[in-house]
Amino acid sequence: MKYLKRNIRSALIVLLGLFVILTVYFYYNLFLYSDRWFSDPNNTRVKVDMTNPSIIPGSISDRNGKVLVETRSYKNDNGALTYYRSYHKDSRYAAHVIGSKKYGIGAEALYVRYLLGYDNNLFERIYQKAFLDQEVGNDVILTIDMRLQKFISQAMGKSKGSVVLMNPNSGEILALVSQPSFNPSADNEDPADESLLNKASYGRFTPGSIMKVITAAAALESMENLNDYVVECKGSTEINGFIIKCYDGEAHGQVNLSRAMEVSCNAYFAQLSLDVGWKQLKKTAEKFGFNKDFLFSDIKTSKSELPINHKTDAEELAWSGIGQGKVLVTPLHMALVASAIANKGIMPEPRLIYGIQPRSGKIRLQGHSKLADATTPEIAQTLTNMMVNVVENGTGSRARTKGMLIAGKTGTAEVGSDKNPHAWFIGFAPADHPTLAIAVILENSGTGGSKAAPLAGSILREAARLGY
Amino acid sequence: MSNKQYEILALTLRYWFVLLIIYIFAQCAAKTIRGIFSSKSVPRSTGNIPFILVLFSLTAFGLLSLQDPGGISIDTALLGVLVSAVILFQFYLLYYLFPGLDEVMLLSVDTLAVLGFIMLQRLTPELALKQVEWFAAGCAAMFLVMLAVPRIKSLGKLIYPLMAAGPAILFLVAFFGEESGGATSRIPIGPFSIQPAEFAKFIFIIVLAYSLNEEKTFRQKLPVYIFVIASVLGVVMQKDLGSALHYFIVFLFIYYISTNDLLLTIAAAGAGAIASFISYKIFAHVRVRVEAWKNPWADVGGKGWQVAQSLMAMGSGGLIGLGLGLGAPYIIPASRTDFIFAAICEEFGILVGGMVIGFYALILIRSMQKAFQARQPADMLLACGSAVSLSIQAFIIIGGVVKMIPLTGITLPFVSYGGSSMVVSLCILGIIQGISMKNEWLAHNMETEFDQDLDEMINDEGDEQR
Repeated sequence: MKYLKRNIRSALIVLLGLFVILTVYFYYNLFLYSDRWFSDPNNTRVKVDMTNPSIIPGSISDRNGKVLVETRSYKNDNGALTYYRSYHKDSRYAAHVIGSKKYGIGAEALYVRYLLGYDNNLFERIYQKAFLDQEVGNDVILTIDMRLQKFISQAMGKSKGSVVLMNPNSGEILALVSQPSFNPSADNEDPADESLLNKASYGRFTPGSIMKVITAAAALESMENLNDYVVECKGSTEINGFIIKCYDGEAHGQVNLSRAMEVSCNAYFAQLSLDVGWKQLKKTAEKFGFNKDFLFSDIKTSKSELPINHKTDAEELAWSGIGQGKVLVTPLHMALVASAIANKGIMPEPRLIYGIQPRSGKIRLQGHSKLADATTPEIAQTLTNMMVNVVENGTGSRARTKGMLIAGKTGTAEVGSDKNPHAWFIGFAPADHPTLAIAVILENSGTGGSKAAPLAGSILREAARLGY
Repeated sequence: MSNKQYEILALTLRYWFVLLIIYIFAQCAAKTIRGIFSSKSVPRSTGNIPFILVLFSLTAFGLLSLQDPGGISIDTALLGVLVSAVILFQFYLLYYLFPGLDEVMLLSVDTLAVLGFIMLQRLTPELALKQVEWFAAGCAAMFLVMLAVPRIKSLGKLIYPLMAAGPAILFLVAFFGEESGGATSRIPIGPFSIQPAEFAKFIFIIVLAYSLNEEKTFRQKLPVYIFVIASVLGVVMQKDLGSALHYFIVFLFIYYISTNDLLLTIAAAGAGAIASFISYKIFAHVRVRVEAWKNPWADVGGKGWQVAQSLMAMGSGGLIGLGLGLGAPYIIPASRTDFIFAAICEEFGILVGGMVIGFYALILIRSMQKAFQARQPADMLLACGSAVSLSIQAFIIIGGVVKMIPLTGITLPFVSYGGSSMVVSLCILGIIQGISMKNEWLAHNMETEFDQDLDEMINDEGDEQR
């Protein structure tokens, strides 16, 4: 039995390998998810008993220092202090950002680590326990600007949808609105189900023509002589035996890439996505963040999906290339796509926490970080030029604003024959030196050019007026 | 002591605890690595590890004794002293009595056991003393196993009764046992309720080692196959699928090592996979486990509750933990038994959690060394069968707790609460230590004195008992 020793050695290696895999899995998963697990609403370890809190949760304010939620107290009949969370009346304009502990959403739930001071160092924690009557958490300063939140909420009115406005260079989210909304301070009212959903990060919508930006990026990356690539659009075009119509059956004639983007020609992009192929389209889209589980530290989000593979037939691929079919995206992700184009191809990680204000001492600023290299600076510049053209001459012309050059792309996402389409607009401004990136979706409201573009234009104008 | 004072103490002592465990682990690991790379055998030495371990146990129990704001809990403090005394007595008695004892392995086991005692004291103080008693009983059993193993050259005809006894116990339990936690695996005996599947595990390893220790034809091996199938079926009948998986994997390892028969091993593994799939289809609670593993967050309030709680506990703990007594590990279901690893991670931190895995790896490496050095096939198989059993058991349950594999409820050897598990795990350790002693004696060519030594020792043991 000479093989015994050899086999014992292999068994040892196999079992040690199992332990190594276990350890790596253990630490890797905790590294990725431990913050999420900690702040999960089901984690009763960090639930606060407001009648007799051991730690007073800190406040939440916007980037200008306007306090949105804070802990207050009053003396009850027995003379004991009773604590409660007090919401500023404007907090309903940022309901999904501020969120609610009760429903486990938004900053109130997600940032408990800071609000309860679990991020403090040992000395601070011991000092508080030893010398303060009542331990206090840290204040969270958000990146949002309440003036913009209010402006956008009011501009959206009753229409359902979402707007994400961010700084494309730092990833700071200046405004994030989701409608319908709820009132965080009205604790007793039961909000309607849909109103609790943060559509900006969890809502998944058909993108429609804004997807053409990705298709164009894929073509620019992979095809030579794209300038000579011309398609004859007759309004309704038959490709490989199926028919793709342009909006309202409008015939665009001979179109090249720039012209096709300007008029949002479906025939052109359907043909283009077939020639680009599923592999390249998927590759580019994934560089732009499709099919990725984003694990941002400040905000939870759903995954945008582009489900194409070698089994996808030509029809499905063509539909995917113009943002119909099974493609689903979140508004936050679309704002990131706009940011990446604005920021020379570099996609920033979205930020909602501007900084943490401890009990005493300076604000701890949260850093910025790069999420991915979505595309090259050259392609980003080419896309920018085309998107400027869209707003100056094309479907996005109603976003045009005096004194500011806006780059954008409209989208009109068909969602069934009996419903109005979703109106989309993504873009950034000023086009030559972008400081703002935006994604707008208005559900079932009409075309992107007529509904979303004017709203986006006015938001960008207001943000510029405020100095962003 | 007021709550706040306790909190300050516990917060500060986190670093102390992590430091001590790192120190013990680093010392044990260094000795093990030196043992691997040096051609000569490393002279054994305890260093100061036993005292560091005692320091750890005393501070932890000391801290816990202050937890009640009403005053110092003398019971808790005394239990800390008792644990320290038991550990020191056990360690030094075995260390000086048996020259062949592997001290690093024993210290690793003691460290794991102490971690278990502390968590148990923190979770359910009433049970901590009981667990220490079981540990002491287990050590006595281990002592006997250590004496017996070097003497036994072959089981002879005794192997057939053992082959019958193992599965018989399991089937009896399956029909007459008490149900708890979905599995029918306990039998009440007087004030205790024991888990015979644990004891059958011990028989399983011994029977496999002594029946596969020489080359046999397929027909000669037939009783072994029947024994294995009957044992696994017996555990499946108890609906204890974690143990079934454990038995089966241990068999696969020992079978391959002893017969070198890759084809049949793979075929058996395939059959096992099919059987798992069938059990997935048949047993509803297996489907629940698999779903909870795939995505515990899909149904946090229901199916995913256990695993999600375990993940939240580990996520809350962070690198050095929330502090002993400052977390809420009691929220995790079965935190005393199956999920004790998550409870340790919550209060001692994931650094200590990683080192718990590390201690099992050290035990594995050192036992495989013993198997490697053994002279007789049966001894080799005994040592490596025991090592495989302990490692696979630890892997299955920790893997389930951290959501790497579907959760199957088995105990974490040496750490989880449970008398049967503790005693049997220590007996399995006793097998490895016994082989270690035998290797040492054979290496010194003292085969003649060897038997005399043993006789003396057995007499000593008798004196002690009187």
